[in-house]
Amino acid sequence: MSIIQITDLKKAYDTNLVLKGINLEIAAGQIVGYIGPNGAGKSTTIKILCGITSEFEGSVHVMGMDVRKDAMEVKSKIGYIPELAALYEALTPVEYLKFSGKLYNLDDATIVKKTNELLRLFDLHEKANTRMTSYSKGMKQKVLLISGLIHNPEIIFLDEPLSGLDANAVILVKEILAQLKIAGKTIFYSSHIMDVVEKISDRIIIIDKGEVKADGTFEELKNNAHEGSLENIFTSLTGDSAQTQSTAQDFINVLNS
Amino acid sequence: MDKLILRFVLFIVKTFLKKDVDFEKLKIIAETKLILDRRRVRLAMKNNAAKKEPGNQILVTLIVYGIMGLFIAFTIPIIKDIVISMTIIHCYVLFMMAMTLITDFSSVLLDTTDNQIILPRPVNSKTFFVARLVHILVYLLQFTIAVALFPIIFTFIVHGFFVGLACIFTILLTVLFSVFLTYLLYGLILKFSTEQRLKDIISGFQIVMTIVFAVGFQIVPRLFKVDKLMHFTMPIHWYTYFLPPLWMANLLESVKTFNADVPHIAMIFLAITVPLFTFWIMIKFLAPSFSKKIAALGNAGDETTSEEKNAAAHKIPLSEKLSPILCSNKTERAGFELAWKMTGRDKSFKIQFYPSLAYIAVFAFVFIFSSSKNYAATWHNLPNTNSFLWFVYLPMFTISTAIGLIAFNENFAASWIYFSRPLQKPGSLISGALKSILVKFMLPVVIILFAFAYYVWDYKIIDDFVLGIFNNILIFMLLSHISKSYLPFSMQPNLKQQTGKFIQVLVQILVIGALVWLHYLAIKVWWLVAALIPISAISCYFLLRTVQNYSWQKIAT
Repeated sequence: MSIIQITDLKKAYDTNLVLKGINLEIAAGQIVGYIGPNGAGKSTTIKILCGITSEFEGSVHVMGMDVRKDAMEVKSKIGYIPELAALYEALTPVEYLKFSGKLYNLDDATIVKKTNELLRLFDLHEKANTRMTSYSKGMKQKVLLISGLIHNPEIIFLDEPLSGLDANAVILVKEILAQLKIAGKTIFYSSHIMDVVEKISDRIIIIDKGEVKADGTFEELKNNAHEGSLENIFTSLTGDSAQTQSTAQDFINVLNS
Repeated sequence: MDKLILRFVLFIVKTFLKKDVDFEKLKIIAETKLILDRRRVRLAMKNNAAKKEPGNQILVTLIVYGIMGLFIAFTIPIIKDIVISMTIIHCYVLFMMAMTLITDFSSVLLDTTDNQIILPRPVNSKTFFVARLVHILVYLLQFTIAVALFPIIFTFIVHGFFVGLACIFTILLTVLFSVFLTYLLYGLILKFSTEQRLKDIISGFQIVMTIVFAVGFQIVPRLFKVDKLMHFTMPIHWYTYFLPPLWMANLLESVKTFNADVPHIAMIFLAITVPLFTFWIMIKFLAPSFSKKIAALGNAGDETTSEEKNAAAHKIPLSEKLSPILCSNKTERAGFELAWKMTGRDKSFKIQFYPSLAYIAVFAFVFIFSSSKNYAATWHNLPNTNSFLWFVYLPMFTISTAIGLIAFNENFAASWIYFSRPLQKPGSLISGALKSILVKFMLPVVIILFAFAYYVWDYKIIDDFVLGIFNNILIFMLLSHISKSYLPFSMQPNLKQQTGKFIQVLVQILVIGALVWLHYLAIKVWWLVAALIPISAISCYFLLRTVQNYSWQKIAT
């Protein structure tokens, strides 16, 4: 049985149709890369799957539960890590994680224990009681990761989890995702970093303008598109590579003029 | 204080708790929100608390409010008529609460991070709603207590127990009404305007708020000297029916005098029903549509603004029209235009600088009338004095603060651009910025002061003003020259901002004092003022050249 089931999902902001009928079934224990250009509808899909946005057409089931009817139940079983460091910067990581943990009904002792250990593993224990206003993007991203995982969720949704992380942290996060998969968790994430997606995903879904353009393992995508790398497949599906080239040429021409 | 109030509010909530509200989650959300309130840096108070990690910002604000309240509370024993004093008190409460809600709490109301942080967690919408309500209640109560504590105490003392009780009641009604006004304002702005515009308007209110604080502490104590105001009475006119603070004041008068004639009963009726009715309208109609709009803020595209922007791009801004006339090279023009635009847009500059402009009016008033009790006679005698020298040199005390301010900006890191460009004489950037301030701020101020002085003293002050303008520029340039030469907007705020201030102020006072004294002496010889003009002008020119030619060695970082 699939752990995520999306049937004919449509979503509009005002009159602007962002998702135009998405159909997806995702099996438990997979790492799914969900990629597409800006404005393709990635974040919107993730928000609907997490029960954050409940105004949409079609049906969405997560772990067999309707995300509209059982939003609370869904939210407590999944972890959501939003993009671009959306957190209360005036708090310290310890305070923020305590806040976030309590909203998952965890008790104080568990939160404190887990928080300390996880912060140490992420090399943040020395700044654990410093307010996050002075934190770099990567440090905030680490705190967000912890806050989305602290309740040990079954499915983890990540929106651009690697943005702002330094090279070592990217490797660490990749490794954590791989370990989570071994532990039987399902991971659904969006990203712009193609070579990472290419390497760690069991399944890659490319969407553009609210529609699924390609879906399968990297090998399958490669065979269908006759292109070498994910980046090439991506531009061939979502953009116009001849157009890109001529834009670049025009750019140089203007500089020379 | 917030924790105490929170406990009180939570206690009440717990007793009326509905079954689908999760009390533990409610509590942690409200607590966290209050911590965030405490730590939010309030721009209006920035000067007072230049610390890196604000411990309890809100407490500082509350204390300032409390002191302000103490000032205002003195109207109660001093002013004889209860209607007048209570009108002042309620006006004050209404104004302060509405302003606080607009300027400070707006950042809470307009914050969409909640959607990203709390919505993904298993918190049901009832709990979330009640948590927000509790937070707003605690916030309002804190400020109500700070604003109204002293006025209420004074009312109990002066007017007795029952009027005091009634006063608590009318102040709460006034607070309700101020909440309604705030929502109404937001609703209107969001309906007819964009999000960016809303932020601009809010920062405008913040500037007004800072000015009111700055000026209020100077003016209010002086008002008590005005005898007329002390014995003024205020019967009910037709317009009384449109002014909420007057309803409250008349209600209190009725309580005090047991007066229950028809107009007073109408007043009491209005005082009680209107705030409650408008509050009901707010909860029923305004708040829901408002929260929908807020939720949409994050998602709305900027399609509407691109057209306006294109239209604006075709018009050459004033700064770019002026710079070729006033600046001698391209680097200087760049500095001029940058400073002109940034001073108009950077909120922290505006909040720190604009109140000092308002001080000019306060100083003018204070200097001229400081010693006298009889304003009319002083005013009458004014043309025979040399007080116009105050008007000539007033701009200096305030405009020169901009020299320090333009060096600092939140976006200081962007100054890499100066260092990566092939600039021979970076001093031109500074001189351009200085010219920008002179033209944008000093010129209008001088014109207004001149117009006023001309009205009072007639043509005989023209030569003094011309000399004064050059002397002002001279002092301005000199201050810039002796203080550290930072490139415009290149320094991190709060770190170096305070250092060296004392010396600068000392030199400022000495130089200004010397020049004003010389000018004062020169007035006695009829041709001397005119003769000094070229000397001052030439000195200005040479100082300007010096600044323009600063090399990289002279630039402080």
